[in-house]
Amino acid sequence: MTAFDIVTSGFLISALRSATPLTFALVGETLTQRTGVINLGLEGQLLVGAMCAYAMTAAWGNPWLGLVAGAIAGMALSAVHAALVVGTRANQFASGLAVWMLGFGLSAYYGSSLVGRKIESFESIVPKSVADLPVLGSVIAGLTPTVVLAVLIVPVSALWLWRTRTGLRWRAVGESPEDARAAGANPSLIRIQAILLGGLLSGLGGAALSVDYTRTWAEGMSAGRGLVAVGLVIVARWNPWWTFPAALLFGGAEALSLRLQTADANVSAHLLHCLPYVASLAILTLTYVRGRVSSAPAGLRAVMDR
Amino acid sequence: MKLRNMLRSLVATVAIAAAGASSAQTIGYIYVGPEKDYGYNTSHDLGRQFVEKSIAGTKTLHVENIPETAEVSRVMERMIKSGASIVFATSYGYLDYAIELGKKYPKVAFMHAGGLKLGDNVGTYWANSDDAIYLGGMAAGAVSKSGKLGFIAAFPIPQVVRSINAFTLGAQAVNPKVTTTVVWTGGWLDPAKEAEAANSLIDAGVDVIGEQVDSPITIAQTAEKRGIYVVGKDVDVAKFAPKAVLTGASWNWGPTMVKVVKEIQAGTWKPSHIRGDLKDGTVVLDPFGPAVTDTVRKSILARKADILADKFEVWSGPLTRQNGAEILPAGKAMPMEMLESMDFFVKGVIGTVK
Amino acid sequence: MKSAFVSSFAHSAAGRLLLSTAAFITLAAAFFLLIGRSPWEMLSLLAQAAVGDGFALTESLVRATPILLCALATALPARLGLISVGAEGQLYFGALVGTGFVLSATAVAGPLQLPSMLLAGMAGGAAWALVPTLLRTRLQINETISTLLINYVAALLVTWVVYGPWKNPASQGWPATAEFPENARLATYFDSRVHAGLWIGMAIAVVAHMILTRTRWGLGLDVLRSNPRAGVLAGLRFDRHALAVMLLGGALAGLAGIAETSTVQGRLQASFSNGAGFSGFLVAWLARNHCLRIVPMAFLVGALLAAGDGMQMLAQVPSSVTLVAQGLLFVAVLGTNGMLDRGAR
Repeated sequence: MTAFDIVTSGFLISALRSATPLTFALVGETLTQRTGVINLGLEGQLLVGAMCAYAMTAAWGNPWLGLVAGAIAGMALSAVHAALVVGTRANQFASGLAVWMLGFGLSAYYGSSLVGRKIESFESIVPKSVADLPVLGSVIAGLTPTVVLAVLIVPVSALWLWRTRTGLRWRAVGESPEDARAAGANPSLIRIQAILLGGLLSGLGGAALSVDYTRTWAEGMSAGRGLVAVGLVIVARWNPWWTFPAALLFGGAEALSLRLQTADANVSAHLLHCLPYVASLAILTLTYVRGRVSSAPAGLRAVMDR
Repeated sequence: MKLRNMLRSLVATVAIAAAGASSAQTIGYIYVGPEKDYGYNTSHDLGRQFVEKSIAGTKTLHVENIPETAEVSRVMERMIKSGASIVFATSYGYLDYAIELGKKYPKVAFMHAGGLKLGDNVGTYWANSDDAIYLGGMAAGAVSKSGKLGFIAAFPIPQVVRSINAFTLGAQAVNPKVTTTVVWTGGWLDPAKEAEAANSLIDAGVDVIGEQVDSPITIAQTAEKRGIYVVGKDVDVAKFAPKAVLTGASWNWGPTMVKVVKEIQAGTWKPSHIRGDLKDGTVVLDPFGPAVTDTVRKSILARKADILADKFEVWSGPLTRQNGAEILPAGKAMPMEMLESMDFFVKGVIGTVK
Repeated sequence: MKSAFVSSFAHSAAGRLLLSTAAFITLAAAFFLLIGRSPWEMLSLLAQAAVGDGFALTESLVRATPILLCALATALPARLGLISVGAEGQLYFGALVGTGFVLSATAVAGPLQLPSMLLAGMAGGAAWALVPTLLRTRLQINETISTLLINYVAALLVTWVVYGPWKNPASQGWPATAEFPENARLATYFDSRVHAGLWIGMAIAVVAHMILTRTRWGLGLDVLRSNPRAGVLAGLRFDRHALAVMLLGGALAGLAGIAETSTVQGRLQASFSNGAGFSGFLVAWLARNHCLRIVPMAFLVGALLAAGDGMQMLAQVPSSVTLVAQGLLFVAVLGTNGMLDRGAR
């Protein structure tokens, strides 16, 4: 095996697995931000999603139930954000951070009895005969349902946002709530729906993280991925189509930082761990230099004046 | 009237809390991570519970998730103000702060996990888990078909570097050609990175993984899923990976802690570097998994017997560095200072300590 | 008549405080009942751990100091409409540069060492803010994402130097630099860890408030934020203002980093910030980027964070319970004020 083989063998599936929880969260936050609301509480929603999903799976032995529970939990926590920013028009940044703390605290408190419990979870969806195929097999052998779900959710959400009437209405609210209201939409209701949908998807992302990816519950296990997802929305230019490449870029760079170590890169691991952040910033810079067009929903600008 | 009652009951609550805490038998424990992490911190909390159970009249305070920064000064001081007369600072980075605070509170006894500094009232305790990890390394070396081992760890601190070297030396005792590839995750508790680190190693042809992160659960399960083997650390993970687990090195801090506490209470304690090992039971070699054959078990247990009988020493020459430079000549034992501040890899380890 | 009086009281500072507190007590009591603990006992223990005695009070001030500076570092750019999450990274890089200065420039000893070290730390923080600022002014790259991403890089750089090139050979393998010399530490008071950084931070808050509200320059920021076109027509240049507020903010966060490192930690270590940068961000937005309101808010957040271990000890609860209580407090403050403002609109 050459160093190149070591880095590349299984790299694609590795990047996919890393990107899966991130993709859910990122799609959710993109849709939320499209209506002009930013939610920094993603981290907390990932955590309650991960915890409740793990608890459900441990109790009932069915990981699908776990995914449902995680999604519901994420949505329930995001309702706090919805109540604060839509209900009382509180500042969105502060509210998101409050939701983050609540989610971290509640999941750690109620999750402590889950530490050290074992769950049965998803197996690879690829039949053994296919997994044994030479090149293709090794690429897809590790595919699990949540990875497929994450890949599917991208086109579904993109088509929904760009091609349906509701999607159009959501975008209109993000551009200008006043105009949208004049056109007969209810901006507050739509924003609440968008926050809850973001919560649901981030809860699902948390569930994928605990039930499928790591099969572990540990407090704070999202380790900052929620906050990164809020930022990656900008890399994806608020476009669901681009969320997947953005998540894959970050997940891939994270996987690479570990794989370079296995190939004896002889570079300090601390510097290698910078890779996902530097790569994201580099890609962002390159695409902006080429395009120079910001596709931020105009309504998001108003966020900072509150 | 009502307000006055409320104030009175507030004062009463506070007074009760203060009185309850000021018993002479109060012992404080500080953990760097969650108390229930199914790993390093849980092992220390089990020690705390053992102390509370074994010594009548003892009360313990415990605080979790305290980083190894100046934060710990406040926590220790508050503990002392809440009545603790003995403080167990259970993570490596608390040492300098414990020594500093020891000067301010000469009547309090501080016990710190590892390190080679003492104060007038600050001692250290640790256990040489290297022996058990060495034996685990032997199992790894025997089971590995590819001759490629992996090790996943959080940060390159001496206590981790020792484990990696001991693991490698044990494996090389069985198969001299074995190499150990190290992956640093950069966090004590990041299951997603741990899983991915394990996958990266497996994709690179590694077929046995050792680990030293907060909890071994994720790595053990990933190994099980991918059909390779794992050597555990801190707690036995056989439940999570019945096929993959070869063995592991677990802790049993209780008896050491009880002994020290009794000495302190009797007034016979003098600060020193207490070091437990396989022999006194502070370190436990976990039961073997099914993949370890009887012949291999026998040779490992024979080596264990030699260690227990002081006939074999893991940290003795000849030892060479990664680049082949000599660390210790044949027959020479490693000085404690070198052992406890280890910042180099032995030959056969692939990776960097920086 | 009566309802007008009630309403005006509710909107006063005292009224807001009272209503927020009531909302917090209600929410927290519900949570404590849910986990089977007496709300009254838990709340009084929380207060005791935060401000119950001299020790608790001084420790809360120690914890609040870097948060205060980081909140100001967030508020300054916010006055121009820039959302910087970068205080955390600027704090780390300021500490890195300041420490590097002390480690290398041994010639600068004596009374000059402390001020020059602080300046080096501020320069470091400002330098770390320069990258996102240029990306924003030259390439229109959103400053929120760039500051967020390079936060991690700054923290990892600190980790790298303390594990690698700057590791103290005498530290027995523990990743930290050599200790700071006595005269490179700020003065401390009350036989505690409260240090001069606190007064400096408070003075800066007052000065910043005056500049932002009383000078042409400060009012220019408001114009550029709320009506960029009018600002440009009035001859104000966004780029220059952006550079100024971002670099000043960076310098303040860098000051927080080097003050904390030299005086409280005593040496440069990995992960020393304990999230001061993010706490500062929270404080700034809770205080609506009002520099004077930031001071009590920073103290409140610092006290709550410092009370965490006390709650664990006194109430025998896991650390997560304090975190939930903190989250509920912010929900209460935000919800109450939001509702009052909504009614006023």
